[in-house]
Amino acid sequence: MMNKARVLIGMILLLPVLAAGLVACTDEEPVRVDLSKREALVAPRQVDAITYAYLPQYSHTISYQRHRRMLEYLRQTTGLPLRQIFPDTFDEHIKMVERGEIDISYSNPFVYVRLAKAGAQAFARVIEPSGEPNFRGQIITRSDNAEIRDIADCRGKRWVAVDPDSAGGYLFPLGLFFDNGIQVEDFETVDFAPGPGGKQEKVVLSVYAGVYDIGTIRKGTLDVVGGKIDLGAIRVLAETRAYPGWVYSARKGLDPEVVEAISKAMFALDHENEAHKLILSAAGIRGVIPAKDIDYGPVRELAEKLGLDR
Amino acid sequence: MSARSLVEESKKRGSALVESLAIRAVDPMLARDFLRLKNMVDEQSSVEDVAYAFVQDKTGHVMVHTFQKGFPVDLLVVNQDVADETVHIQLLADGSRRIYDFAVPVLVSDGHLGTVRIGLSQARIQQAVQHQITLMAGLFAGALILATSIGTIFARRVTARLGRLRTHAEEMLTGNLDTLSGPTSGVHCWEKQNCKITQCPAYGEVRRRCWYIAGTMCPDCNNEGNFQCRLESCRKCSVYRENAGDEIQDLAETFDVMALTLKTHIDELCDAERNLRDQQRLMRTILDVTPDRVSLIGPTMRYQGCNKSFAESVGMSLAEVEGKTDFDLFEEAEAEERHLAARDILESGARLDTQVKVQGADGDRWYHVVCIPVLNDEGRIDGLLRTDRDITDIKSYENQLIQAQKIESLGLLAGGVAHEINTPLGIILGYAQLLQEDVESGSQIHQDLAIIEKQTQVCKKIVADLLGFSRQSESAKREMCFNNSVMEAISLVRHTLELDKVSILTQLDDRFPIIYGDPEKLKQVWINLLTNARDAMSGKGGTILIRTRLDAPMGIVSLWVADNGSGIGEDVLKKIFDPFFSTKAVDKGTGLGLSVSFGIIKDHDGMIRAISPVPEDFGFPAVQGGQGGVGTVFEVNLPLDHQMGEGQESEKE
Repeated sequence: MMNKARVLIGMILLLPVLAAGLVACTDEEPVRVDLSKREALVAPRQVDAITYAYLPQYSHTISYQRHRRMLEYLRQTTGLPLRQIFPDTFDEHIKMVERGEIDISYSNPFVYVRLAKAGAQAFARVIEPSGEPNFRGQIITRSDNAEIRDIADCRGKRWVAVDPDSAGGYLFPLGLFFDNGIQVEDFETVDFAPGPGGKQEKVVLSVYAGVYDIGTIRKGTLDVVGGKIDLGAIRVLAETRAYPGWVYSARKGLDPEVVEAISKAMFALDHENEAHKLILSAAGIRGVIPAKDIDYGPVRELAEKLGLDR
Repeated sequence: MSARSLVEESKKRGSALVESLAIRAVDPMLARDFLRLKNMVDEQSSVEDVAYAFVQDKTGHVMVHTFQKGFPVDLLVVNQDVADETVHIQLLADGSRRIYDFAVPVLVSDGHLGTVRIGLSQARIQQAVQHQITLMAGLFAGALILATSIGTIFARRVTARLGRLRTHAEEMLTGNLDTLSGPTSGVHCWEKQNCKITQCPAYGEVRRRCWYIAGTMCPDCNNEGNFQCRLESCRKCSVYRENAGDEIQDLAETFDVMALTLKTHIDELCDAERNLRDQQRLMRTILDVTPDRVSLIGPTMRYQGCNKSFAESVGMSLAEVEGKTDFDLFEEAEAEERHLAARDILESGARLDTQVKVQGADGDRWYHVVCIPVLNDEGRIDGLLRTDRDITDIKSYENQLIQAQKIESLGLLAGGVAHEINTPLGIILGYAQLLQEDVESGSQIHQDLAIIEKQTQVCKKIVADLLGFSRQSESAKREMCFNNSVMEAISLVRHTLELDKVSILTQLDDRFPIIYGDPEKLKQVWINLLTNARDAMSGKGGTILIRTRLDAPMGIVSLWVADNGSGIGEDVLKKIFDPFFSTKAVDKGTGLGLSVSFGIIKDHDGMIRAISPVPEDFGFPAVQGGQGGVGTVFEVNLPLDHQMGEGQESEKE
């Protein structure tokens, strides 16, 4: 019995040694720092630059991804200090143009119509990936929604749209409904995609989730969300007529030389050129062509028809 | 190991935090939304062990951070190598605490917007590690104590059973073989198998399992081969499966079987020993009670054993004799003789059967010696057994028998001769008497004829004695008074003896015993004894005492004739009844007197013997005169039983 007790005591005495061994296992060589040595940091003054903004129809990340190469190209080609900025909402974008905070604005035609009122001048428009300089809006519903077969069935339904200022995502389809005798009041609800950025995708996802019966989006959005949802579950109910596509406009008062240099560089982009193709593909366009304010007459007509002409 | 896993887990957690923050920080960074960024990093610092979090733009400028007053500039120079997309972890030490610094670049596509850094305090990890260690130590100690307790209990069970085995082993050493170490529980094979074979050795056995018993008659058992072979067949048996236990039980049961077998063996040995002891005692008794001297001699000529008689003969105890040689026990001559005889037998293996005469202090003694070689298991001579039987008495009887046969032969010869001589002697006597009548009385011729007649009468007397000796004469037995026979003989010789100054005293039994016998022949015996007594006086005179006694219970009547003459020497005493033995001069006696008397007494189934000198307790009267020699007593015993005497007589006739 004495031997057993001795063994037991010996093993218990060994425990701290084992524990110390466990602690020792975690040892690494640390770098010495003194967190008490502090300083107040001041941001370096930002270099003056020509600001470039993309109407936030998508999230900032996508906006950045789409136009980063374009800006890089423009900086290199024109030698101008260009900087992309990211307004959170359509309204903010418009107001920033009005305040002169955005020098070059890339916006949809409806927004442009409003920007034009603030003195902005269109100087370039894009050719859609389809090859046309115009684009359309789409009305979508769930594939398994048997109640909605045509536009007339949309009456009394719950509708989600991108933004009150979205061209393809609201105003074009609103014109289509108007033409089919359906007013905004005829819907059970008309809601807009919440929060900043990514609004087109949010509409598709809301319909996909069944929260709304129908949704309206810019044509081409389904390609963007293809990686997120099963596109077979979404049915395109109708498409609007084609309207002039997205437009580059310069704020009122921007140096015409700058506009000239930029537009020249943009027009030089050739889809057949591999390097340019990378830039154009990232931006989701096929090319850039010259634009004039007169090109956006159909849009102004639609606005007028819908009573949006303010 | 566990601590390392915890650290790794913490690193993964920190990596996840910083990566998550980097992804979420993209939009606010692009929008330069410092509030959202600030909120994001502050959210991180709400996590328990996050020491700090901050976001740097691609120029390294800290956009937001969680520090309250100023920014620790030391952090700007560490963990800066964040070119790739992976999380970089750097262990930092700040005074008392340690911090894991996680850095990850904020990337959009391949565009680098800046860096997100999070500091994770090691305190919580340490705390978790400490907790883990404490838990593990507790678990370890608990498991150890539990294992020790279980081990102790188990060991106690095992040691208790082993202890019982040891106790039983010790008891076995002290001789108690009735211990039972194995369990007594369990069913027995005859119960389990419902067996009816009562002849089976396992039937009714309760102290041993059936597989320990050889020769079981169960049809399912392998009854041949050794224990292991039998046990192999048992492993399929339901009795075995139910009763077989662990190794200790096997040991205990084997132990019990061993004890039982040992006890049986010891009992058998005890019985054998008792039997042997009884046999030894019997043998010793047989050897000791036999008067023969028995001795066992080993191959080295030393005595290995002997019986009591032998030991007494050499004057030693039984134990003292062992290991001695002949020269230690006997005189040199005898020892030499025995030694040579023994050596011859040990060498030749021949049996010795002979008679030897040994001179002793009390005269010569005859022994019948038998020596037999003793063979061992291999047939070689391993010693010899010697028996010395004292045959001195037999030798004596043998001599007496020879003498009797000699007397008988002589009697027949003498009888035949006497019978033939008797007739011519009668004719010579008749003619001598006739011639005396024819010649003148007193003349020379008459005197000569008288001498012839006298000598012829002497011859006739001799012849008559010879015939009597050879029992040729007729015996006329009848009932007669013993005393009268004696008195008649005394009266016949008294006068003559008185002339020789010999007086006769009588002490006759006044009960007048009556016997069956021949009065004349008995009278002849008495006269012969009286004249012999007279002759023992050598003419110097003396006293003769005649005593008769009736011993009714014994059925005999005895007569003693004692004198105070010169007595008879010891060597002569043995021969006095021999025919023609005489110590007298040549012409003084024929030597037939006592032998004839011997024949007559024997004819009466009696006994006669002579004792010289006269025993002092005989009561011979003190007398004056005479030579006063040592004297001689003749004792005659005659039976009173007529019938037997008559029957024997008629049988003889």
